[in-house]
Amino acid sequence: MTTMTMNETTPAVDARAAELRDAQLVARRKRIDRMFAVLLGIQYVAGIAGALFVSPYAWEGKVRVLHMHVWVAILGGGGIILLPVLLAWLKPGTTMTRHVIAASQMLSSALLIHLTGGRIETHFHVFGSLAFLAFYLDWPVLVTATVVVAADHFLRGIFWPESVYGIANAEWWRFLEHAAWVVFEDVFLVWGCILGQRELRASALRQAQVEHLSEQEQLKSAALEMALAEMQATA
Amino acid sequence: MSARRIAVAAALVLAALLWTTTIGAMVHAIRRFESTPGRAADALGSWPAASRIPRAPGQWRLVMLIHPHCSCSRASITELERIIEHSPPSLRTYIVVYRPSDFAKGWETTDVFTAASRLPRTRIVLDQDGHEARLFRGFTSGQTYLYDGDGKLRFSGGITLLRGHAGFNSGSAEVIEIARSKSGAGSHPVFGCAINK
Repeated sequence: MTTMTMNETTPAVDARAAELRDAQLVARRKRIDRMFAVLLGIQYVAGIAGALFVSPYAWEGKVRVLHMHVWVAILGGGGIILLPVLLAWLKPGTTMTRHVIAASQMLSSALLIHLTGGRIETHFHVFGSLAFLAFYLDWPVLVTATVVVAADHFLRGIFWPESVYGIANAEWWRFLEHAAWVVFEDVFLVWGCILGQRELRASALRQAQVEHLSEQEQLKSAALEMALAEMQATA
Repeated sequence: MSARRIAVAAALVLAALLWTTTIGAMVHAIRRFESTPGRAADALGSWPAASRIPRAPGQWRLVMLIHPHCSCSRASITELERIIEHSPPSLRTYIVVYRPSDFAKGWETTDVFTAASRLPRTRIVLDQDGHEARLFRGFTSGQTYLYDGDGKLRFSGGITLLRGHAGFNSGSAEVIEIARSKSGAGSHPVFGCAINK
């Protein structure tokens, strides 16, 4: 029988460690998918409430009708969260679900920014969202989110600057300034994801080694018991 | 493939289609709403004689029609403030606030009204049932008129680029330029809620 110390690994221990790590990662990502499904729902309601507070009605003389922004918050916001919420419910833990959630979270930011008339304070939603997306410990998800938010700022900055910056005459390069701050945050979040994955791998390896040692000890004690039983039988 | 798997795949494909369609439709709808001007004023070339807004000969006048509940008109008030700041101090501004008589007292006291009443060198005129707006032949909140010292109309139109968005635009730039140089004339599309249908 071979014996091993706590820090040594074998292909079997490595395989078990990978299995444990994958299981932990999938469980974690499923939990975060569910968290985002709830968050997207909360943001949806907040968007409608915000639209109702800021500009509830458009008027035609004495007659009032629901303002277009309220309809956009109800229908547009609903459309944005439909796919990610369904994916979080039906396909939790998959790569596609994470990326759709990342894109939708950024689109929710875009909608909230528009509904508040391009208020600079609403742009903070983007930075908070990136931090939440880092919980997945999957840095390509941050890349998807960054591409979506940069494309949104670039396109709206050119064709519809009032919607994203609140003013009509924003400089064409302003999206680069916003994107640079996003990348600044991304650098640390990507590093955090890599460190998190590394810690998860180390913890899974320790657990696999403990399991392996425990199995070895069980085998040893079983062999000892058998030897004792044989000795008692022959005595 | 099991029936459940097919149903899940179909639901996701449908949701993906709805997702992309909604985003496109949403952008299109907002753009259309915000970039569609209201009805332009059919303004006379000179100051309406029947108006109860005082007019002293030789003095330039700026008049804006406002629906107090039109959230888009906050942007018009912001732009008006900029115009007042950059125009000669002799320019007098009147904001004509639409007020239907069958609504309770205080109906007109909104954030738009409050912002308007804080503007310098500006007087608020409550317009019962849009009587003044009819005299000025205006139909849309944010409609702005600039009259010269002889009562001749120099500018008629809106002073925002889009519905509900303040910021540099040729409408407000024209008003400032005409008021400063005391020459020229101009017009611009007006964006806002309807006052008189």
